[in-house]
Amino acid sequence: MKDKTTRFLTGSLIGVVVLCVCVFTFFSVRMSFQSSYTINEVGTLYMSRMSQQTSNHFESIISLQLDQLRSLADTIPSAEVHQDQELQEDLILQAKARDFTYLGFCRADGRVDMIFGGQVTVTDPQPFMESLMSDRQKVAIGVNEQGEKVMLLGMPSPFPTGGEHDCVALVAGLPVSYISDNLALEENSEQAYSYIIRKDGTYVIRSADAYRDSYFERVRVMYQDVNGLTPDEYIQALSQAMDQGANYSNEFTMEGERYHLFCTYLPYSEWYLITFMPYGVMDGTIKSFTQEWTSLTMISAVIILAALLLVFFKYFKLTRAQLREVEKARQTAEASRREAVHAQKEAEHANQAKSEFLSNMSHDIRTPMNAIVGMTAIATANLDDVQQVQNCLRKITLSSKHLLGLINDVLDMSKIESGKMTLNMDQVSLREVMDGIVSICQPQIRAKRQQFDVFIHDISTENVLCDSVRLNQVLLNLLSNAIKFTPEGGEIHIALYEEDSPKGDDHVRIHIQVKDTGIGMSEEFQEHIFDSFSREDSQRVHRTEGTGLGMAITKFIVVDAMGGTIDVDSHQGTGTEFLVTLDLEKAEVTEEDMILPNWNMLVVDDDRQLCESTVSALNSIGINADWALDGESALGMVSRRHEQANAYHIILLDWKLPGMDGIATARRIREELEEDVPILLISAYDWGEIEHEAKEAGINGFISKPLFKSTLFNSLRKFADIPEEEKKPVELQIRDLTGRRILLAEDNELNWEVASELLGEEGLKLEWAENGQICVEMFQKSPVGYYDAILMDVRMPVMGGYEATRLIRALEREDSALPIIAMTADAFAEDVKRSMDCGMNAHVAKPIDVREVTRILDKFVK
Amino acid sequence: MTLKECYAAMGGDYDEAMGRLRSEKLVQKFVLKFLSDQSYDLLCASMEAKNYEDAFRAAHTIKGVCQNLSFTTLGKSSSALSEALRGGYTPEADGLAEQVGREYQQTVAAIRAFQEAAGE
Repeated sequence: MKDKTTRFLTGSLIGVVVLCVCVFTFFSVRMSFQSSYTINEVGTLYMSRMSQQTSNHFESIISLQLDQLRSLADTIPSAEVHQDQELQEDLILQAKARDFTYLGFCRADGRVDMIFGGQVTVTDPQPFMESLMSDRQKVAIGVNEQGEKVMLLGMPSPFPTGGEHDCVALVAGLPVSYISDNLALEENSEQAYSYIIRKDGTYVIRSADAYRDSYFERVRVMYQDVNGLTPDEYIQALSQAMDQGANYSNEFTMEGERYHLFCTYLPYSEWYLITFMPYGVMDGTIKSFTQEWTSLTMISAVIILAALLLVFFKYFKLTRAQLREVEKARQTAEASRREAVHAQKEAEHANQAKSEFLSNMSHDIRTPMNAIVGMTAIATANLDDVQQVQNCLRKITLSSKHLLGLINDVLDMSKIESGKMTLNMDQVSLREVMDGIVSICQPQIRAKRQQFDVFIHDISTENVLCDSVRLNQVLLNLLSNAIKFTPEGGEIHIALYEEDSPKGDDHVRIHIQVKDTGIGMSEEFQEHIFDSFSREDSQRVHRTEGTGLGMAITKFIVVDAMGGTIDVDSHQGTGTEFLVTLDLEKAEVTEEDMILPNWNMLVVDDDRQLCESTVSALNSIGINADWALDGESALGMVSRRHEQANAYHIILLDWKLPGMDGIATARRIREELEEDVPILLISAYDWGEIEHEAKEAGINGFISKPLFKSTLFNSLRKFADIPEEEKKPVELQIRDLTGRRILLAEDNELNWEVASELLGEEGLKLEWAENGQICVEMFQKSPVGYYDAILMDVRMPVMGGYEATRLIRALEREDSALPIIAMTADAFAEDVKRSMDCGMNAHVAKPIDVREVTRILDKFVK
Repeated sequence: MTLKECYAAMGGDYDEAMGRLRSEKLVQKFVLKFLSDQSYDLLCASMEAKNYEDAFRAAHTIKGVCQNLSFTTLGKSSSALSEALRGGYTPEADGLAEQVGREYQQTVAAIRAFQEAAGE
């Protein structure tokens, strides 16, 4: 769409530009054509007028002279004048008065007898004579004795002159210059000049530069082009026009310059006036006009084009912006449509899930309930049969436990779905978590005779901030699934390792890997493993129990609540591996200095990674350690060291070793060496069943996996004469709180009395506020520092504990930050959180436990 | 009737109470004091007036007192009642209130019997 518009715009722009150029070019060409045509027209008009004027001028000059001549002639009496000397002299006088330079009589044979001036020969006597004879006045050119041209005027006047021939005409002569001067033929020759020629092209009067005798000859030599005609063709055309007595107009080029010519007949003569005008004169004016016009045209074209371009680009930009907006709007609309469709699908899916949930729930609840109801009925019917009743009760217990687990899971799920599941972040020791998990799972693993191993390495931070209950839940879920879906004799492996967290130095990334060699899961099922109520429905898992909610809860805890990831890699028949990755904040505890003497130790385990990790943990507490992968090589190393008198101080042996196991190895070491080197057995199993055998084999003690740094330190230090930290009884640690004044807000008198009685025995002074408001008032009235702490019931009439705490915290008193401890029977995590949120320091559950209260008071009271 | 028998009669945990309060004299003192506690009257009045907020607090107080004195049976039913009233009235509340009433009477009866036996 965008391309189409752009194409259209570009196309129309190009079109408009081309059209513009075409139109203006056409105008320019047309104008210049028109101007040359106009020049021609104007030239012709001007020349014809000018020639006509010259011709008229010529006619008037000639007729004037002829009139003079006639008046002269009229003075002649018809008598014979030829011999009349007096008459002749009178004639000469009159002629001179009339500016004639010659005067004579023309005879019929064409001879002219000059009576004044000199002898003149008519250059072309024939037409002259013909005219005179036919009683027509005529002009002609003659040549005097000096060879100069003389203009002759002939006036027919037949009178006898005496002699052989009668005179037919009176002829007067004038110098040629008279004509040319009067006609101004050469005047202003820069603009225009004229010749007078005869029909055959010979000059009658010519300008100075035309030195040839004939104009035609000049034409042939000088003219380059006569408006497309060759000089000869031109001469022909000119002669033809002269014959017909018509005017002739044309253009020609001479010496690179264009000229306009006009030829017209001159009256009283056989002559033709031919006038020339160089083009430059007129052309110059018109050309400059044309140029100005053309440049104006071009400038307007450019201005219009520029305006067009501007408009185009503005419009283009506008269109682009609009298109973008339209596109954006379209995308937004599309996105919201998709969202709507997605939301609808989600809603449908959720609806379906809810229906499935209900049907699953009723089925899952009914199954154990049926067992309970049924077994109860059987037991009732067989009250006397103790064994039967016991059997029923056992089954009822199992089903109840299952039902309880199911309900717990459902409660968790509903908490998750309503977004109410919150984490109680607290300092957690990963070692304790792992120890706890291992000890919980050991009985189940032993019952199924599965191989179990715990593996820890690269643990730099043992204490982290986490919700230990939820973390335990996750690990137990993964481990119990592994145990559940792994047949007897299979292997189960749990590993924990740490690395730097991308969240920064105050965090650590922990990986927990739970791996089994169980039945595995199908690819399809892996996609739904984290859905609620998913259980692979096949013959293999038919008998396996569970709520089907465990993985959904696990995923929620790991991913949504803790912000970690959980990955699963499983193959049917091969086994399953879960990998949980969490970024946890490091707990701010200064780990006590764990340094042991510079011992030499040997670690024997068939897992190379465990050996290396353990050795590095031992190094970090100051011990030099070697490792071996099996009993035989361990034995070799021990005896070699012994021979070098550089024996190991302590030996750690794994129980399960390939070939010779840990106990057998220990026995061999005891047999070969007399020294009493301490040998410790490491195992992930409960050693109760092997303890006796191990002790007999000479093993001094046990260390349970996982092998944290602190596990190793605590197990080994008894060999280093470092006294174990005395675990003093809690009471002894508590300071004497005698005399401390406590304000107790409690609405119930009986409860108050109980508290006052119990705490009074500890030496505390208690004062009673019956509700939150009274509590605030009493605190306000008291001197600063009067009360050491406030014990605050949460539920009270008039004003509750939360509000009272907020008011006290808001008071502008030095001691408004005194310890306030919540006391309530609501021991939910949410209540604890709420009491913290409104500014209380701690929370103790009712009923009052004196030890707990005094411990907390001790913690907060200065 | 001994104090222990009194606890047994009302469904309480005498040993627990002794564990917390440490002397029989104290336990006896507080048990007798229970008779004058106004919370149950407040509960009945509030339920009557359908003031479930006060009813909740009364039930909650009874629960607290029972926990302090280890009156297990009454403690449980009052706890259930307070949960039923925590977010306002629920249909279970009426039944639970009746149960609390029955068990309260039972408890009070046991304490009265003990009071008479002790001659006070």
